[in-house]
Amino acid sequence: MRKYTCSICGYVYDEAIGDPARGIAPGTKWEDVPEDWHCPLCGATKADFAEDKINNKSATPELSIVENEANSMSELSFGEVSALCSNLSKGCAKQYRLEEAELFNQLAEFYKAKSSIAGAGQLKDISTLGERDLASGYVQANLIAADASDRGALRALVWGEKVTRILNSILRRYEKQQDTLLENKHLYVCDICGFVYIGDKLPDICPVCKVPNEKITEIKRR
Amino acid sequence: MHAIRNINLCTKDCLCLYVCPTGATDTETGQIDASRCLDGCRICIDACPSHAISLIPAAFPAQQRKTDTVKKTLLSLAESKVKQEQIAAYIEKNTDNPVLKQLAQVLCISNQLMAEDLIRESGYMLPQSQNVQDFLKLLLDTDQPEGFPKEVVERLLAILNLENLDQTE
Repeated sequence: MRKYTCSICGYVYDEAIGDPARGIAPGTKWEDVPEDWHCPLCGATKADFAEDKINNKSATPELSIVENEANSMSELSFGEVSALCSNLSKGCAKQYRLEEAELFNQLAEFYKAKSSIAGAGQLKDISTLGERDLASGYVQANLIAADASDRGALRALVWGEKVTRILNSILRRYEKQQDTLLENKHLYVCDICGFVYIGDKLPDICPVCKVPNEKITEIKRR
Repeated sequence: MHAIRNINLCTKDCLCLYVCPTGATDTETGQIDASRCLDGCRICIDACPSHAISLIPAAFPAQQRKTDTVKKTLLSLAESKVKQEQIAAYIEKNTDNPVLKQLAQVLCISNQLMAEDLIRESGYMLPQSQNVQDFLKLLLDTDQPEGFPKEVVERLLAILNLENLDQTE
């Protein structure tokens, strides 16, 4: 019995287990899984899966660090300052410092309003930026964070890279299927890591950050 | 170090009320009155059958030290996520298609969360940290856009207990 892993979200199709919820009996060989079967977590196609091989150790990529432009605090855009403040607001709320949380939230809203004129664009502009993040941003950042043995940075990069892959997979499918992609389906986003799920039955825990699904919020159509 | 109650876990068995020597746990807000809570006492924590109470330290260790290259590379990715968030927000605001609006809203939330996480890991995890203090002071010392809520920043600097952070590195 073999196993196949989704390159988008990391879901594992195990031939021994199958996918009974979608009519794939235990013991079903990968080649017998119908071509229109999709990853139950992220909706990726069969072509996005690769077989798990033992000793399938890929060569360690060469460390080639490209210096980014210096990015000191004073050079952050209003949008980034807003994200910094909304993050600090959450940091205060976690400590039950509610007044501070509210004050940081006010700052976040102020800078968000100031940055709102910057964003004209279309979905394809988002997927282009996401592809660039995957092709270079995360590759670079992973090398740098590994070189510095920065545990927290590596964690954030693993989560963000998975979520970015999932978003881009959704954008590719939306480009083809348009609104039918979301027809009669619910749409959810994880409050913690930003994982997005399209479907009816949420996984028990977020497949990216492992938070219980009570922290995965449905976003309704308005 | 004072106790806090996770209201999502609290099952209202009220043993914390029975054991608290100062009445700090008996409040109408669901939260514990920090001004009455005895430093490090933890009797309510041990008594709670739902494990809904924990201690919040008054001082935290500094965040794991961040190298300049790590900071730069994370902030560069955060910048890209913020751009994607802003484009999504623009689409959400300007489209008449409710399905596209819904999808754009989700993209906006997701990218904001990723940006926040990247910025947190570039040295801004703790609101009480020196980095955050420097950032807030910088906001006061440099030109800010019209309508800047100066008093919000001043209030934050006054109440964040910034001096309580253990900055030994």
